[in-house]
Amino acid sequence: MKLIEKTKIKGVLAEWSKDFNVLCPSLTPNGDCLFDDFDPQTFTLEYRKPSMPQKRSCFPQAEKIFDVREGSFVPAYNHKKTVLFGIRACDHMGLRQSKSFFTRDIVDPFFGCRSEDTVIVVHACSWPQNETCFCTTVHSGPYATADFDIQLFDMGTDFLVEAGSDKGRRMISSSPFRDFDVDDAQERLERVKHMAFNSIPIVEEVAEAMDILKAGGANETVWEHLGRKCIACGGCVYVCPTCTCFTIHDRVTSKDSGERVRTWDTCLFEGFTKEASGHNPRPTQALRLKRRHEHKLLHYNPVDIQTALSGCVGCGRCSDSCPVHIGTLEVVKAITDHIY
Amino acid sequence: MARIPTICPFCGCGCSMYLVVDGGRVTGVEPSPANPINKGMLCAKGWNAFEFVHSPDRLTKPLVRKNGVLTESTWDEALDLVCSRLTGIRDTHGPDALGFLCSAKCTNEENYLLMKLARSAFRTNNVDHCARL
Amino acid sequence: MAGLAAAFGSGAMTNSIGEFEDADLFFVIGSNTTAQHPLIGTRIINAVERGAKLLLFDPREIQLAPFASLHLRQNFGTDVALVNGMMNIIIQEDLYDRPYVESRTEGFDELKALVSRYTPKVVEQITGVRSADLYRAAVMYAQADKAMIVYAMGITQHVTGTDNVKTLANLAMLTGHVGRHSTGVNPLRGQNNVQGACDMGGLPGVFTGYQRVNDPASVQKFEKAWETTGLNTKPGLTITGMVEAAHSGSLKALYVMGENPLLSDPDLTHAEHALGNLDFLVVQDIFLTETAALADVILPAACFAEKDGTYTNTERRVQLSRKAVEPPGQARADWEIVSELLSRLGCCGTYPDTESIMREINALTPSYAGITYRRLASGYGLQWPCPNEEHPGTVFLHRDQFTKGKGTFLPCEFRPPAEAPDEEFDLTLTTGRIYYQFHTGTMSRRIEILEREAPQPVLEINPEDAKRYGIRTNDLVEVESRRGSIRLKAEVTTRVPRKVLFTTFHFAESPVNRLTTSAFDPVSEIPELKGCAVKIRRCS
Repeated sequence: MKLIEKTKIKGVLAEWSKDFNVLCPSLTPNGDCLFDDFDPQTFTLEYRKPSMPQKRSCFPQAEKIFDVREGSFVPAYNHKKTVLFGIRACDHMGLRQSKSFFTRDIVDPFFGCRSEDTVIVVHACSWPQNETCFCTTVHSGPYATADFDIQLFDMGTDFLVEAGSDKGRRMISSSPFRDFDVDDAQERLERVKHMAFNSIPIVEEVAEAMDILKAGGANETVWEHLGRKCIACGGCVYVCPTCTCFTIHDRVTSKDSGERVRTWDTCLFEGFTKEASGHNPRPTQALRLKRRHEHKLLHYNPVDIQTALSGCVGCGRCSDSCPVHIGTLEVVKAITDHIY
Repeated sequence: MARIPTICPFCGCGCSMYLVVDGGRVTGVEPSPANPINKGMLCAKGWNAFEFVHSPDRLTKPLVRKNGVLTESTWDEALDLVCSRLTGIRDTHGPDALGFLCSAKCTNEENYLLMKLARSAFRTNNVDHCARL
Repeated sequence: MAGLAAAFGSGAMTNSIGEFEDADLFFVIGSNTTAQHPLIGTRIINAVERGAKLLLFDPREIQLAPFASLHLRQNFGTDVALVNGMMNIIIQEDLYDRPYVESRTEGFDELKALVSRYTPKVVEQITGVRSADLYRAAVMYAQADKAMIVYAMGITQHVTGTDNVKTLANLAMLTGHVGRHSTGVNPLRGQNNVQGACDMGGLPGVFTGYQRVNDPASVQKFEKAWETTGLNTKPGLTITGMVEAAHSGSLKALYVMGENPLLSDPDLTHAEHALGNLDFLVVQDIFLTETAALADVILPAACFAEKDGTYTNTERRVQLSRKAVEPPGQARADWEIVSELLSRLGCCGTYPDTESIMREINALTPSYAGITYRRLASGYGLQWPCPNEEHPGTVFLHRDQFTKGKGTFLPCEFRPPAEAPDEEFDLTLTTGRIYYQFHTGTMSRRIEILEREAPQPVLEINPEDAKRYGIRTNDLVEVESRRGSIRLKAEVTTRVPRKVLFTTFHFAESPVNRLTTSAFDPVSEIPELKGCAVKIRRCS
């Protein structure tokens, strides 16, 4: 186990930037906090829950997957060695679940090569980042338990640094990382973890709603009520750490060349399930919402969810970024309240 | 990847969003988390507002109609022609034989300049845009 | 905008988007808010869920309809009569804000006299709205503490568009619902810089900030700044006027920057002929639009992602947008192109960047004087009027007095639409936008996922009408007006009332503006795109 002064982090990232593309929390001049390329001017450690998970570093919103030139095609692998610095445990679980989905049976080469090239530095949460956090409920946080390279725990002026892989161990082997060589290091870490875990309230309704769904589903009026106000922006899908759906289209770029592009898709759009005949097995917004939430809480693949409880990692972003408040939290409450 | 602050090109809400740029190509959109209008949200159009940027249909060269056919040209030729034809028409038929349409999709600075061009260079107030439509 | 400017002295949304969160009542008329201004529409839904009321006047069953306390589906083009009827009830029942009317407005007696003729019975005959519903609507609006009127093109795209707006302004003043937080008359602008294009003098009669071209002081100021003399002081032609002038041959050349009138203009066949009649057409755009295809010179422009600049949203908020990527090929930013033309034509001023243009705007435009790049870069924009660099911007207008001093009641009589259905053309066709597409589709139709959602135009027809014409969903139908005909697929739905058809103007393959009438409002010169008489038949 290691320690590092928080003030030294900027220097470390500057050093890493020589070999890696470092994505880290950054404060824009107008006051937005985003994950962006490391820049000593905008880098900040004063951030809470990033507004977006970092899935796009392995799975961009739009990417060219191959070019066609004069009758032959050339795959377009576009990846560089990347450090994801300071992601939260919920987002890390999201990446683990997505990686399982993308590499389980057949390896998606685009996701696969990016994922191989990524160093993950998790910044464990000491307390909930806002009122929609519920990682402890779905066993995805507040700290990572596996598959990370480095994990940071807040100890005031220092970070306690845990290595989770050989790669991570190498990266923290020299100054300014220093050994944390007290006898009770492990105990102290456990205490920090314990306090963090207890600071994030358990949302009882999640397990209850999962039981209701398993037992035959929610009252249809829940979905009808929510479907009436959903504007199908797709925001809940775009900000979800575990949503992986994409669509593919081909574009002619000139007379004898073209490209295939894939972009994020969303199951809340009517066209997601519309068949060529015009028939749509999920013809209403209510049914589309039902399907999305059942996918997260009922029809997830048990292999993909890793050590989490469900396909939802409890980051709460769907609640944060839905214009009409249809996030997992609101949905599980609607299911368990029995008011509709 | 870099995040560049922009304003959604569609409706009048004026949602603020960052374009995610990788290798000179826009690869996505992130809503501004703290802007008071959209607060980390966007609609379906906003979330997908980047794709047309790299459309192969984009115009990339000035075109001039020659013998009835639009033909690739140079900026010098195209702008010379615009200046000489507009000036010629003004000199023959008067300034009000010219009209200028500003754009509800262009920036304030661009609309200002086009308005200045019409009024200052050509002395016409035949200036409008499609707010009416 | 002309209507609001005449009543209040300023033609812009009076209040702000954030204020929707605190209003008690929304009176939404002629706006499909969740589809066209989604992040405003959703604020209305959220407000209703916390207990606010929604009064919705729309012939179509839009997404907001189930959230409305009262949804009235008035006959097409009868808004003036409807709102006059509400005001009559409010005055009769003594529900109007007497102190407000006395201290802040003028012209009440004329209003009272005019609206007294709009009794519930008369209004019911014109609008089809039952007296009891009209009464409920009037009382709801008048008794609300903070009521916001929200409208869009459903109000303005009528031959009586200006009258519609004036009438809504009358209603707001009568009840004291202007000049306070979460109230006002709020036109929602349909494109990201409609407000800015107006503010920048992209109008026939004004320079920037609505300074009149026939006001000697303004002319002198601009002549000095532009180092010139002899500016034209006669207001010019509107787009509608330019199309007419091109048709008659008096307009010889047209310079079009980033617009596609050949899909958005009414009566396209007429517009096409007009543009074909020009000696010289310049189009500056990012795509080869329907209009560009007719041009003599096409100048390739940069899109929003490829340039710096500011946009002014519907609530008067000026925001800075930055260049993210290079334009394709030789394309250049619009400001670079026009700036180059200015210098070739010997006009004063050099513009190395967009900030230098904004400095010139700051100096010439009192309402924009304090809106500098330095301030915009470190925050979330500034709402005009913002007269100096210390000013925080203005959230809502007309706080203690109207821009013009006293607000003026401008009573209007009901006038019927330009083209009523008759025996041959027996249905009314109304037009609008859908959620997944935008305007003439030059941008949105090149976004694959949006195009997947809405790949073709659909004609909405009520089940009763559909039955009468033997039309089923997905049937190909031909819609014909006195000006032309188009073919498209039908969708049988109760979203539209009987005798009304609805479709959109996004699709060049079924250009609905072949059908629309170019009859326009005499003041604003906005055409009546919202309705024309048509007939329909199923294609075999």
